[in-house]
Amino acid sequence: MSIDSAHIRNFSIIAHIDHGKSTLADRLLERTGTVEKRQLKEQMLDDMELERQRGITIKARAVRMGYHYKGELYELNLIDTPGHVDFHYEVSRSLACCEGAVLLVDAFQGVEAQTVANAYAAINQNLTIVPVVNKIDLVHARVDEVLAEMEQSLAIDAAEVVLTSGKTGLGVDELLAAIIERVPAPTGDPNGVLRAMIFDSHYDSYRGAITYVRLVDGTIKRGQKVRFLETGTTHEVLEIGQFVPQRRACEELVAGQVGYLVCNIKDVKQVHIGDTVICPGDTIAAPLPGYKRPQRMVYCGLYPSEGENFEELRDSLEKLSINDPSFDYSPESSEALGFGFRCGFLGLLHMEIIQQRLEKEADLDLVQTAPNVTYQILKTDGTVLEITNPQDVPDSGQIDEFRQPIVRTNFLVPVEHIGPVMQLSTDRRGTYLKTEYLSPTRAMLTFDLPLADVIYDLHDKLKSVTRGYGTMDYELIGYMPADLVRLDILVGGKNVDALSIICDRRDADRRGRSIVKKLRSEIDRHMFEIALQAAIGTKVIARETISAMRKNVTAKCYGGDISRKKKLWAKQKEGKKRMKSIGSVDIPQKAFMAVLDTGVDRA
Amino acid sequence: MIPALAPPRSVYVHVPFCRHRCGYCDFSLLAGRDDLFERYFLAMACELKRVPLPLALDTLYLGGGTPSHLGPAGLRRLFNLLHGPLVPVGTAEITMEANPSDVTGPLAALAKGFGVTRFSLGAQSLDAATLRSLDRDHSPDDVRQATATLLGAGLSVSVDLLIAAPGQSLAAVEQDLEAVIALGVQHVSVYCLTWEKGTQFDALRAQGILSVADESIERAMFEATIDRLEAAGFEHYEVSNFARPGFRCRHNEAYWDCRPWEAFGPGAARYDGRERITNHRSTTGWMTRVLEGQDFTGDRDAMTPEEAARERVVVGLRRRDGLDREEFRAASGLALDTIAGAAIVAWVADGLATDDGQRVRLTREGLLLSDALWQRVLTGRG
Repeated sequence: MSIDSAHIRNFSIIAHIDHGKSTLADRLLERTGTVEKRQLKEQMLDDMELERQRGITIKARAVRMGYHYKGELYELNLIDTPGHVDFHYEVSRSLACCEGAVLLVDAFQGVEAQTVANAYAAINQNLTIVPVVNKIDLVHARVDEVLAEMEQSLAIDAAEVVLTSGKTGLGVDELLAAIIERVPAPTGDPNGVLRAMIFDSHYDSYRGAITYVRLVDGTIKRGQKVRFLETGTTHEVLEIGQFVPQRRACEELVAGQVGYLVCNIKDVKQVHIGDTVICPGDTIAAPLPGYKRPQRMVYCGLYPSEGENFEELRDSLEKLSINDPSFDYSPESSEALGFGFRCGFLGLLHMEIIQQRLEKEADLDLVQTAPNVTYQILKTDGTVLEITNPQDVPDSGQIDEFRQPIVRTNFLVPVEHIGPVMQLSTDRRGTYLKTEYLSPTRAMLTFDLPLADVIYDLHDKLKSVTRGYGTMDYELIGYMPADLVRLDILVGGKNVDALSIICDRRDADRRGRSIVKKLRSEIDRHMFEIALQAAIGTKVIARETISAMRKNVTAKCYGGDISRKKKLWAKQKEGKKRMKSIGSVDIPQKAFMAVLDTGVDRA
Repeated sequence: MIPALAPPRSVYVHVPFCRHRCGYCDFSLLAGRDDLFERYFLAMACELKRVPLPLALDTLYLGGGTPSHLGPAGLRRLFNLLHGPLVPVGTAEITMEANPSDVTGPLAALAKGFGVTRFSLGAQSLDAATLRSLDRDHSPDDVRQATATLLGAGLSVSVDLLIAAPGQSLAAVEQDLEAVIALGVQHVSVYCLTWEKGTQFDALRAQGILSVADESIERAMFEATIDRLEAAGFEHYEVSNFARPGFRCRHNEAYWDCRPWEAFGPGAARYDGRERITNHRSTTGWMTRVLEGQDFTGDRDAMTPEEAARERVVVGLRRRDGLDREEFRAASGLALDTIAGAAIVAWVADGLATDDGQRVRLTREGLLLSDALWQRVLTGRG
């Protein structure tokens, strides 16, 4: 069932979150007969439980669809992409396997921040864009305005836009036709030297690593040996196939096709995303351009609530990292929290997902420290330190330059909200770059902002000042020197290393005050007074006190009372979950997040 | 090694009737259902059959509810039922709870005739306003009169006092203490009002009609209680209990020594040295089940020797005498320091306990904050 590459189309669908990508993908699967309607679960491609729960796509997916068009059978490979900014790198991975991208815009919401970001990512990879306005069945659809926005912001010719409704199936045939007519066929040579790009992998407990590949040149046959160029390992191909959307084995894959390899690889770490698959002994095959490695932007400490669960946590992290190579972890120890791991994530959503999966799948009780971004320090001796933990900041005397990551941030907002968004960004020491009007009612504002000020709560704040209509997206542009300090928090006179943060010196007073205030409400009263202090070096800049418990004694404890009272006393145990004792102070998990409180009044 | 089970030498009998339910009360009782007395006696007779051989007793305690609410005829009926299965020894302490307004000369004589040695009076306060706020139907004079009657009959008297009542001031508590001391009783139990879930008081609190006393004021009231009663010659021997020398409640001391005891009636809990079994809490539920031959037990709290020892630490340290290491080992089979050694060291360091190497006692500070100590002991962490 070999297919000539002229009949192959590889494409992604890119969209802002919630614009109906998954629903439209379901319609494509249904229309092409890949999945029968009765088998169709809502949003077929989002098969991780968390993805379904949150209605978001996290991992890239690939599915092969067969479609008859003008009497000929075409193979359409849809490579699904995540929409959230945390998973940008997955988008670029997917796009590298495609010749085209369906750019989806909601007929009511219009062009949003990730629409722009993803469209540019596709354009930069020289993909053919098939623009679509989706959800045209909505009562409030404003198709003409949205078309104008697309033209204005992305230079898309309104005449080329396909109008669809993922809900009703309207326009799906036209979209399939547009994909076949407009997206170029892959150009590789089936008889050339084998080169395939690994664009994803996942772990199957029965088959080991399932490696997702896009064949660029040549042919892979079942039973042959292949070599992973970068890792330098050689494997026998036990099975090859395509996702339809379940795995379906076949005898061979040829240039232009997308599918999977099963090679009896027990350790997914041997599968490097972006690596090139070649024939062993083939010295002339040049590596394909790989991907930019995903950049871990956010770090936090994960500690078991019970110290003895350290090994369990290590095992769980390892299991998770098998399926998600984009997060990493290394053991660290904290004076306050004992032994745990410093974990790096793509962003806060990614962090939240990993934490949830750890608790769900491993049933581990975790204490998580507040996340921080990665900083750079140019030391006076000329060396550069990467700082992923505030504790690693050296003495100020050794610091020549303290640098923080800066992101270029686009806000797409209704024009009446430009003022509040300007305010929001300048409060966070953003550098204003420009305003572009997409239409008389919508504008795109661009700022350079410290990443630290973006990731924690800027998205929530944006939603609140724009009544839900504003969207944002950002990309890292580099590190810039700033006047940064480490702010330490002392609980009962003891510096709790896990509560330290790095912040701008000018914000330190405000942050310090709000952190100790927040801590005061999070930490229960103890038998003694607890002083909460924020300090830079030895200088205390804010203080709060938790007064001592005055009286806490059960009055009656006679025969019939004892069992009941005993349960109440021991019940405090449940409240102790996700709690860490530091010195003799019990600090609940929530308190470790208190340091995220920026002290900026809620807008 | 599990110590052999000794036969219980203490019995608790629950009398689940009251004239009315007070706003703060969540006990197992029925108010205004005197029509159920007869059925209660039938069920009691039936439950007493659990005791195959007559039990020799050092203490017997009739609690409630309000045992005195049964009236002379009812009490006679109850004592006659108990007589036979239960055989108090000559020196036995037999306590009966009573409402001050129920106490009369004839009642005292009748009780004394059935061997009662001690009355526990639900006085709660000697201030008319406080009594009203607590929903009580007796007056301060009722308390004085009842006390005089009982003492005159040669009975030992304990008075229950409630502090931190809604709206009560520290001065009012101090006045109550003086009034109680003036009664000349042998024993006083003082309870800070507990806002139990599901009570009328709790509902009124939730509506903002009643307010809970500030923790600092409650502490001041409790400290004043300890200081004043000790100055008047009472020993503070357990969190809430004060006695003139030689007049501690021996029945309650059996609980706190973790000795086995028997118990009958709805919601009554018994302990055989390994397991605490609580009867069905609802009075009607208990009666129906007992009379129809069904299982009438509610909760069961079975303990390993270690769990029992942990419990022993808690109830033991709530007593001002604290725990003696040798006695502890002899009674529990385990060393106190194995069970709570690290905790004790920490408490001593924090001024919450004293330890002379033999005996461990909580300090006043430790006692006042003691609920916060028990989790560590009961869960065995540290």
